[in-house]
Amino acid sequence: MSRLIDTGLERLANLVYRMGELAHETVSMSLEGYIEGTNAYEQVQDRSGTLIMMASEVEDKAFEIMARFQPVASDLRILKSYTKIAYDFERYGRYALDVSQVQNRLGGLEQCESWIYEPVTKMSKEVMSMVRTSVESLKSHDAKLAKSLSETENRVDGMYFEYLDRLVERAPATNKCTISTVLVVRYLERIADHATYIGESIVYLATGERVTLR
Amino acid sequence: MTRMSYKFEIENLNAWFGSKQALSNINIKIKEKAVTAVIGPSGCGKTTFIRCLNRMHEIVPGTRVSGKVLFGGTDIYAEDADPVQIRRKMGMVFQKPNPFPMMSIYDNVAAGLKLNGVRDKKRLDEVVEHSLRMAILWDEVKDDLNKSGASLSGGQQQRLCIARALAVEPEVMLMDEPASALDPIATGKLEVLIRMLANDYTVVIVTHNMQQAARLSDFTAFLYLGELIEYGPTKDLFENPKNELTEKYITGQFG
Repeated sequence: MSRLIDTGLERLANLVYRMGELAHETVSMSLEGYIEGTNAYEQVQDRSGTLIMMASEVEDKAFEIMARFQPVASDLRILKSYTKIAYDFERYGRYALDVSQVQNRLGGLEQCESWIYEPVTKMSKEVMSMVRTSVESLKSHDAKLAKSLSETENRVDGMYFEYLDRLVERAPATNKCTISTVLVVRYLERIADHATYIGESIVYLATGERVTLR
Repeated sequence: MTRMSYKFEIENLNAWFGSKQALSNINIKIKEKAVTAVIGPSGCGKTTFIRCLNRMHEIVPGTRVSGKVLFGGTDIYAEDADPVQIRRKMGMVFQKPNPFPMMSIYDNVAAGLKLNGVRDKKRLDEVVEHSLRMAILWDEVKDDLNKSGASLSGGQQQRLCIARALAVEPEVMLMDEPASALDPIATGKLEVLIRMLANDYTVVIVTHNMQQAARLSDFTAFLYLGELIEYGPTKDLFENPKNELTEKYITGQFG
């Protein structure tokens, strides 16, 4: 026999999974647009706005379940984790929009020389894979997969600092490419951090263990 | 933690009703001046467990107990232990409020002292007032002390029973589902009272209301089929239970 709380938890899970898919789509759209020089600004803006609304819906639903059912144990951990993860998904959307805004103002990566184009593209792809992994591990409540985010995040951090060092060495003069990529790699680094926060929440909801994946 | 911060240290406790074993090998240490909740489905042995703490289990014919219950370091099941003396140190509150129906509120609280030979009116007045204040009942009954205890509401009667128990200065309060016959308002008042009692007494409360255990206890023990499945700080047990049976029980997947 399913419990009264189960209907609410199931609805909440579906909402968070939908958010995950949308957040992934938003980040991909924005980064691919930036790399290839296609304009995705309006679609990204639209999705980012939807993610904000969905995050507040997740929060409302989670609090309603707390008030009505006094959840404990894994039920309680799920609510706590989903609320946090919804916020992280909202941030994915926000940084995706930041990337598109930079592109709008300063142009995309396609205009840049290969020593800029290549590392930033590589970092973008790593970050997109982290976003994908965070969504997948959420759907399966897979703590092991979630923990794997830690390794990718280390790589992304390495790429971030390496790229900044290279910029300082090679480009004392500023231009659209250097400025836009400095901003974008910062956003990428932030997205990667949020992916690890999601990983931490998934480990917590699946096992109760509190870990740091950064 | 030092030994003396535990009020009870229970080792290999077993209890039977005839040939039916109600408790199996319970090992648990109960902290002094804290609220320990005992939870578990009906028939899991939780009532038997607290009735073993003050040697009330053996009152029922055909019952048997084995193992050690150290109370303040002394085994209450030792051969020379006196059950009457032991019970005096432990107040007990039951599911159904049971004030002495023919006695006034005042006499309900004073009964234990009078039974012990206290006749000094001033001393009795002091203890009655103090006990009723401790039980958060004084303000509600101070002008009606001569009325019958049975004239009070259920929640008030339960607090009267607590006042009666406190009057003889116990060290422990054992409570067996004390709120299960009370409405939510009376339950709320009783829970506040129980929390306050833990400043001075060791409280062990049996409850089948898990939210109540979560709200008011410092430690929770989960019993199932006569065995202690999990025991620990209430926060840990309700946020991240170690045992799958505990998880299933407290999330309502069985029981």
